[in-house]
Amino acid sequence: MEEQDYILFDQYLLEELSADERLVFEKRLDTDIEFKKSFNTYKELSNFLENKFENEEESNDFKSNLERVSNKHFSKTETPVDSKHKRGIFRIGQLAIAASVILFLGVFIFNQFSNPTYLDYNSHEPMTVVRGNVKDLIEATKAFNNEEYEIANKLIKKVLDKDPENSELKLYYAITNIELDNYKVADENLNELINGTSAYKDKALWYSALSRLKQRNIDACIILLKQVEQESEDYKQAQELLDKLE
Amino acid sequence: MGDKKIHEDQKYIDGLLKNNSFIIQTIYDKFVPKVVNYIKQNSGDIAQAQDIVQETIITIYNQAKEKGLKLTCPFDAYFFLLCKRKWLNELKKNNKKEVTINEEVLSKDDDAQELAFETSLFGEKQALFNEMFLKLGTACKDLIKATFKIKSMEEVAASLGLTYAYARKKKSLCIGQLTKLVQESPKFNQLNY
Repeated sequence: MEEQDYILFDQYLLEELSADERLVFEKRLDTDIEFKKSFNTYKELSNFLENKFENEEESNDFKSNLERVSNKHFSKTETPVDSKHKRGIFRIGQLAIAASVILFLGVFIFNQFSNPTYLDYNSHEPMTVVRGNVKDLIEATKAFNNEEYEIANKLIKKVLDKDPENSELKLYYAITNIELDNYKVADENLNELINGTSAYKDKALWYSALSRLKQRNIDACIILLKQVEQESEDYKQAQELLDKLE
Repeated sequence: MGDKKIHEDQKYIDGLLKNNSFIIQTIYDKFVPKVVNYIKQNSGDIAQAQDIVQETIITIYNQAKEKGLKLTCPFDAYFFLLCKRKWLNELKKNNKKEVTINEEVLSKDDDAQELAFETSLFGEKQALFNEMFLKLGTACKDLIKATFKIKSMEEVAASLGLTYAYARKKKSLCIGQLTKLVQESPKFNQLNY
């Protein structure tokens, strides 16, 4: 094809040709097989590129969510036989999941009949999956899982400054801020997540409610809890907390 | 796909499109174990199964996003066939051992066969397009990326320090160049027929 043909393809696809030019173009599609083949490929590529770049962020969010579910599934069902597959993810603290579940259940049963407070719900899922500056992240992960929130907060901020679109880190950053009573920063970050498209949307909503609970803003807490969707992991917890508050 | 009835399992496709963790989890719980067994019985290991499953789900997601995939058969059969096909291709690529095809788990569902075929074709084309895109020069890559990200061609031109007319023309020529690369690759002709 000549350069001019590709320019025509584009104009045709963007409906920029006059009625006459369109007719000529369509006639050529009918008669010139090579022209038609190239046009079809050009069109297919345009669609491909549009989807690839226009939805890049959304699709990256999807991929990291998928990776998270996949890793969870495969680490639960069986131990991987060969480790030559590097996954680029580290799982410090995975051991702590079991411990924190038990701890959570204990705390939960103990508090079932008293007024709920933030402390009933602040057994966070251990920090696990993260991308970015490895050294700082390992330290941040350790500190977070040891409940040293001040240290974790500083380290996460450092990494986040360089990787501001990292939704997962943003969530953990918000959690450390709730722990440290920096509510304004926490709520701002959580709002960004809630209004975004990442996989951490639902979690952010739940933590937003917990932040209000800790601030003793029960009305806001209730409003947020009611927005936690049925499909969300935190739905059950949210309903339980709602029952206690209302 | 014409006027075929959409299967109720379309909910899995819609859930993937919405990045719904609950649906993704359900797919892993309900449909993935069968795939893992199949791959393990056919010279694969768990890590390989994990990769095949993940890549297959991404292909389904992309096809749904770009082409509005509509499921006309049970998700189970469709998904299994897709993973299986992908695994067989993988084995072929690496010239591994013979594969025993377990007839019991083969689907007799025509719709599923057809749809799985379409999706794997779509996936292979995507892989080829991606590969060819990387062969373009930096200037073309940047311009194409900016065009589809920013949308307004005026802004694209300004952000790259080009005149509007030039950016516009260049964009067509860059996609033209990509068209040529794709058409000239032997893989493309295999895929088209």
